[in-house]
Amino acid sequence: MKNRHKLWGALVLLAGLHGLVLFAGFFAPYGSAAQERELPFAPPTRIHFVDARGKFHVRPFVYGLKDDARIPGAFAADSTQVYPVHFFVQGSSYKIAGMFPSRLHFFGVSAPGRIFLLGSDGYGREQFTRFLYGGQISLAAGLIAAALSVLLGVIVGALAGFYGGWIDEVLMRGGELFLALPWLYLLFAVRAALPLHVAEWQVFLLLIAVIGLVGWARPARLIRGVVLSAKERNFVVAARAFGASDAYLLRRHVLPQTYGVILTQVALLVPQYVLAEVTLTFLGLGVGEPMPSWGSLLASLQQYYVLSSYWWMFLPAALLIPVFLAYYMAADALQERLKTVPL
Amino acid sequence: MRYLIRRVLNAMLLLAAISAFSFALLQWAPGDFFDAMRLNPRVSSQTVEGLRSKYGMNQTLPVRYGHWAFSVLKGDMGFSFSYNSPVGPLLWARARNTLLLTSIATLLAWLLAIPLGIWSAANKGRWGDRACGFSTSALLTIPDLLVFLVLLLLAVRTGWFPTGGMISTGFDNFTFWSKCKDVAVHFALPAVGLTVVTLPVLVRHIRSAMVEALESPFIRAARGHGIPRTRLLFRYALPAASNPLISLLGFSVATMLSASVIVEVIMSWPGLGPLMVQAILSRDVYVVVGVVMLSSVFLVAGNLLADVLLFVSDPRIRVE
Amino acid sequence: MSGLRKEPLVCIRGLSKQYVQRRPLTSAKFTIRAVENVELTIQRGGTLALVGESGAGKSTVVRCLSLIERPTAGEIWFDGVNVLKLRAKELLPLRRQIQIIFQDPTSALNPGMTAGEIIAEPLVIQGEGTKSERRHRALELMEQTGLPAKWESKLPLEFSGGQRQRLAIARALALEPKLLILDEALSSLDLANQEMILRMLAELQAMHSLTYVHVSHDLRMVSDLADEVAVMYEGRVVEQKRTAELFAHPEHPYTQDLLDAMPSLESICEERSA
Repeated sequence: MKNRHKLWGALVLLAGLHGLVLFAGFFAPYGSAAQERELPFAPPTRIHFVDARGKFHVRPFVYGLKDDARIPGAFAADSTQVYPVHFFVQGSSYKIAGMFPSRLHFFGVSAPGRIFLLGSDGYGREQFTRFLYGGQISLAAGLIAAALSVLLGVIVGALAGFYGGWIDEVLMRGGELFLALPWLYLLFAVRAALPLHVAEWQVFLLLIAVIGLVGWARPARLIRGVVLSAKERNFVVAARAFGASDAYLLRRHVLPQTYGVILTQVALLVPQYVLAEVTLTFLGLGVGEPMPSWGSLLASLQQYYVLSSYWWMFLPAALLIPVFLAYYMAADALQERLKTVPL
Repeated sequence: MRYLIRRVLNAMLLLAAISAFSFALLQWAPGDFFDAMRLNPRVSSQTVEGLRSKYGMNQTLPVRYGHWAFSVLKGDMGFSFSYNSPVGPLLWARARNTLLLTSIATLLAWLLAIPLGIWSAANKGRWGDRACGFSTSALLTIPDLLVFLVLLLLAVRTGWFPTGGMISTGFDNFTFWSKCKDVAVHFALPAVGLTVVTLPVLVRHIRSAMVEALESPFIRAARGHGIPRTRLLFRYALPAASNPLISLLGFSVATMLSASVIVEVIMSWPGLGPLMVQAILSRDVYVVVGVVMLSSVFLVAGNLLADVLLFVSDPRIRVE
Repeated sequence: MSGLRKEPLVCIRGLSKQYVQRRPLTSAKFTIRAVENVELTIQRGGTLALVGESGAGKSTVVRCLSLIERPTAGEIWFDGVNVLKLRAKELLPLRRQIQIIFQDPTSALNPGMTAGEIIAEPLVIQGEGTKSERRHRALELMEQTGLPAKWESKLPLEFSGGQRQRLAIARALALEPKLLILDEALSSLDLANQEMILRMLAELQAMHSLTYVHVSHDLRMVSDLADEVAVMYEGRVVEQKRTAELFAHPEHPYTQDLLDAMPSLESICEERSA
């Protein structure tokens, strides 16, 4: 019973996170490219329910920002300017699913108030907004790359396991090659082979291809194992005795046995690959500005003054934790289920 | 003995294949080091072409591979354009630093993981085990990047540790002990970071290997004979679990090497990681190939070591 | 059930099968001679029992006969056709006529398919009938093998061991085979189930003019149901005779050993021949 809760919990968390990211335009208070050059490195705006006179308001509100007299360049809250937080407001325009224009935002404050939920960066860009839009890039990269790796792994593993012989030898030797290189070095090497300065979307696709293509070996090995044991099962032998073709056997009897392993592998690989994309971009080898990958959000932390003075710039990294948690929980729960399914 | 020879031959074949593979991969890359030069209007295209042919960049792939393989045997491993020197010497210094860091981190991680894993397995199901399992799961969800950044923040804010590099200024004038202390204080944070990052997976694997050993019939029989618990744990179960654990050693080398790249860049530890990132950004091809090769050598060597240890410790392999 | 003066359904001549294996980590090979020069005849409409101890080669013979494996040498004549000389395309219609039931019914059934789907699968593979025709046939077969029609959408794990074996038999009958091979099919069942299924098999044999080959090492069961018995020892058929004759006058020393190992058999034989 506990495992079912784990699985459902993980799925709910995943749905929530992905939903937030998918509808970034709606949930983010500002547009993806919005900059406030006047307000670089503003701290996260605090949300208040009780005002300076001690009165409780149902509707939360924020204070305006003014220059902090004590620390030059920093900002402090100005309690004379009160901006209530509104929900379902009209704001900057965006497109749902890239097609339907809308101006509806989940929450916001009227200008000139600012609601910097996670603070702002050096260009005055609101970090929560950038986090949501960045998620579109980083999560998509992780998901697509994981799907690619597993797809390749299934093809190679199924062929190697089902046909055996020299095909098996050659394919598994190839896999050994890929596994003999420390993963990140291999990733870097393949990245090095690609042109450095290409158009944004091309970089994104290339990055996904690189990450996905590098990691096929481990899933392939696992799938091969499942296929090897599945093809010896008597119901496969029986179907063969009825005259079934290889394609039929694979489709109807062998591959269905691999679904569990496939799902678990995807759940394990996605966080790994998201981290890979984030790391590459962080080091300057991934998608470039102004694409708001989570990696570029963290890149400014490489400068000491940002690292030590502006703690909120860490938050995108901290927000990675629930993402990892959700995927690992799902993978754990799936592995438990796999053990109990009668084979 | 024949088993070992076969493993060594296998390893060498693998390394040769990797070298060919990475070499080909990088040579196919569009653009090279000299492209950046071409952007400079004061450098004529003839000069660029001249430089190209001087360094043999316009020869065919197999020829270049041949030259490169030869230079590997000489110890040069190709030529670095950015540093204007053979790649070999560049790599050794950096490799030594990476090895220093990763060996210490590996030692630390295993020193912590083995007792934790064994203790967790011995107390399976009780609160100690559950707490351990919970903490490892929690640690796993923290991305490496965050760990290293937080450690860097610690260094910057508290000043207890240096914020980067391997040695302080004036190193050459230190006494031997001061030198050791200096390097130690520099690798403290990176090593801790690496350990934290690789510890959870190790503990989990060690625990499951020990649990499997403890639940095997022969251990239950031994327990039935009245053998005391500690002796059972260390003299019976641990040797039985040593086979998967030694294989784990090979695997942990791989993850450690991968993680070391990030920590070296973030904490400016002068190892192979930052060298490689720089080389990629400036398209210094032979350096990249050199680093990839070297890292594979470490990995394959680590696995080979594990194979040797297995051979020595597991009689089943010797019988074959 | 015997005494039909037609040609035998199956004629196996000089059947040999070798397995070549490599010792792990070396390049040395060694061959296992599973079956050597086997001669066997199976009469139409009858029941042949193939007996012998484990490793004697019984399963190998029937696997070759059911075209699951290819022998290294020899001939298999089925209904006048030299089976091993056929091309792949010609083999397909032949496969319908020879069916095999395995010892473990659980592993022979895909745990993810329903009973109806399992029984209809051979029809699907051979591309026969429309979906409703297949379903109709599946229900018909379920009835014949004593499974309630309403269990059509149940999964194998919901059936007991004996019922799963019935399911396997129903599936085997889907393509109206002439020859049904039962490879230790009853060994994993308790005696009560064995009885029921044997009775059902006898009815089906009469209904569909089936020929059976029972592979078994249970001589007691064999004495009940077989017309002829073939004894295998170390990869060869050492004796093939009509049942009563074999029990009364065994020729080969191994057969003698087998019979001696079943002390209660003598009394049964004496009853029968009396």
